[in-house]
Amino acid sequence: MNPVAGRPIRRLLVIVAMASVAFAACSGGGTPAPSGGDLEGKISFLHKYADPRYTPYFDAVVAAYLADNPKVEIEVIAETDQGVKDKLRVMAASNTLPDVYFSWAGDFTKKFVRGDLARDLTADVSGDWRASFTPAALEAYTYDGKLYGVPFTLDAKYIVFNKKLLADNGVNVPTTLEELLAACDTFKDKGVKDPMAFGNQFGWPAIHFMTQLNAYYVPPETLAKDYDPATGEFTDPGYLQALEAFADINTHCLTPGANGISHENAQANFLNSSSPMHYIEAVEFQVLTEAGGAPAELAANWDFMKLPAPATTPGDKGALTGAPDGFLINQSSKEVDIAVDFLQYLTSLENAQKLTKDLGWLSPVIGSATTDNTFEQNVRVVQDISEASNMAIWLDTVTHIDVANAYLNGVQAMLDGTKTAADVVADVQAAAATAKASTQ
Amino acid sequence: MQTSRRGRWSMLLWVAPAVVLLVLFVYYPVVENLRLSLFRWSAFSRETFVGLDNYETMAADPVFWSSLFNNVAYAVVSVVFQVFGGLVLAAVLEELVRGRLKGIFRTVYFVPAVLSLTVVGLLFTFIYNPQIGLVNGFLDLVGLAGLKHSWLGESATAIWSIIAMSQWQSVGYVMVLFIVAMQRIPRELYEAAYIDGASRIQAFRRITVPLVREMTLLATIITISGAFLVMNEVWVMTAGGPNNSSHTLASWMYKSAFFNDQMGYAAALAVVIFVITLAASIVQLFLNRGKAVQY
Repeated sequence: MNPVAGRPIRRLLVIVAMASVAFAACSGGGTPAPSGGDLEGKISFLHKYADPRYTPYFDAVVAAYLADNPKVEIEVIAETDQGVKDKLRVMAASNTLPDVYFSWAGDFTKKFVRGDLARDLTADVSGDWRASFTPAALEAYTYDGKLYGVPFTLDAKYIVFNKKLLADNGVNVPTTLEELLAACDTFKDKGVKDPMAFGNQFGWPAIHFMTQLNAYYVPPETLAKDYDPATGEFTDPGYLQALEAFADINTHCLTPGANGISHENAQANFLNSSSPMHYIEAVEFQVLTEAGGAPAELAANWDFMKLPAPATTPGDKGALTGAPDGFLINQSSKEVDIAVDFLQYLTSLENAQKLTKDLGWLSPVIGSATTDNTFEQNVRVVQDISEASNMAIWLDTVTHIDVANAYLNGVQAMLDGTKTAADVVADVQAAAATAKASTQ
Repeated sequence: MQTSRRGRWSMLLWVAPAVVLLVLFVYYPVVENLRLSLFRWSAFSRETFVGLDNYETMAADPVFWSSLFNNVAYAVVSVVFQVFGGLVLAAVLEELVRGRLKGIFRTVYFVPAVLSLTVVGLLFTFIYNPQIGLVNGFLDLVGLAGLKHSWLGESATAIWSIIAMSQWQSVGYVMVLFIVAMQRIPRELYEAAYIDGASRIQAFRRITVPLVREMTLLATIITISGAFLVMNEVWVMTAGGPNNSSHTLASWMYKSAFFNDQMGYAAALAVVIFVITLAASIVQLFLNRGKAVQY
């Protein structure tokens, strides 16, 4: 059994914020410089940031690397978040994986490891380079004691809220799940139709709720056992409670008909102040700033909080949904030196700070987010992530695909009223049994 | 005239590239897919021979049956709206609309057919949006708010909403096919019919419909085959959701292969799609054999 995948990542850590500040202060030589231009060859590089807002960053970093390494060529393949999932499978099946390719942490990466398609990077990522990462981010890509991925971004899920709308409607920032439901009721009583903007067209936004709620309602050891395909059973009553809690959140807070609304459409309702709350990833915080295109009034009036935990719960109240995203190196790559060197360059402190400055994203490189290069909420969110007791990896990537599908389809069916929470638990248990059989 | 041996070789030489390409890119993949459907494999694992297990799994898979139903629904609705609707539209434009208006209407109806499916899919995602969409807005306007739905977000309405979009997009294409066929019908036939006292509807039934029979067959084959290959619009608008309710066989095959890591199962689905479309075409060709009409 793999020691990491299938359970929430241990500690995304304390240290991040404190170390951020400390390293930022003395960061001149914090990250080692990659090799000095004598490499020669060509690599391919697949990322999932094809959005026109993000590609300039990658273009700039690749161009800078090529300027330093004139004998190197890089073929950049840009995909979308959705598209990269099937592109990777097509490439894996046809043995044409790029030298460097994107992969989510969890079972998604484990598939490449099991298929002997990902290089063991334990010896490559060592010394100062290894030390430059927050340890939990590396741990997310470590299986059986070996490192298979280089973390690139750091992400976590938060409820963002419009401070002005809360104040105008006499709502305090909720600290428990029960208070959140009451706050939603207050908003509705005051005529706010959608207290929490929510679009679930492709299923994953609801899965992020379930990731957090499972961590709250199920003891961590049970969760770790069940998320591992070889031992998963999902018989703990906490799974049903978590789904019922989601049903409550839906009834009290979420946008009706959410399966027919995209996440981006829902986000527009938060941006134009129609909805006072929205559940988003920290990498999306940038769009809530004026630089990211948000209206000035909202940009000056938003803050964030974790999805509040229920008052009493057997799970881990300190857990936080999120994970790093990162890159793997093809086991069959003929240009491993260049691939490693490029990844080292991509995750240098300088480029990590540029990532945070240009895109507003958090990096796992220590010292990358400071008040000098990003907005105030981003600096604070690093602190908040550091205080999480556990990082709960996205449910749709940490579990076996059959279990993930049972959740994705089941929660959509709950939203359109065709299944109950108990039905979904039964589906998940059946999927876990199938997954277990497939691993034996 | 006898063809010389050299001429025959020369003929074969000219045909050979096309035959080679056809064998390589059409027939070989079909046979290879049939072989792969007998294995369990994924992008990340080696092939394991499982015989007909994938077909047994398919028979017990509720999503396969709902996808098949969705394809059949797609085909039936498309034949009614696209083939019959396209025929009527073409006849109306040819017989009743005159001058510049004829060209304008042809263009208006045909334009959706040249739009990218992805663009149309996204456009209709907005039209069906439960909050800001035109459909719900219109229902509000006419006092039918009780009929409002999250059209793409409910299991009961998602596939029908996609089918409706597809009719809007494709009817113009079929209409143009019929216009081409109708323009080949001699005007004298209509003039003679009108002199004999036939109404426009009688002329349509007795002259137009029989003389565009071959085009009707072609349009029906295209429409039914197309209905069993529908994939893009489903993927763009719902990705098969909610709860797999709007999958077609092609989108379920795609999801099985590239999301669920069940390549062997997906290959079995591909075999079924191939058999269905081939059978549908053969049946239609057989039914229409030797029934071409000429006056």
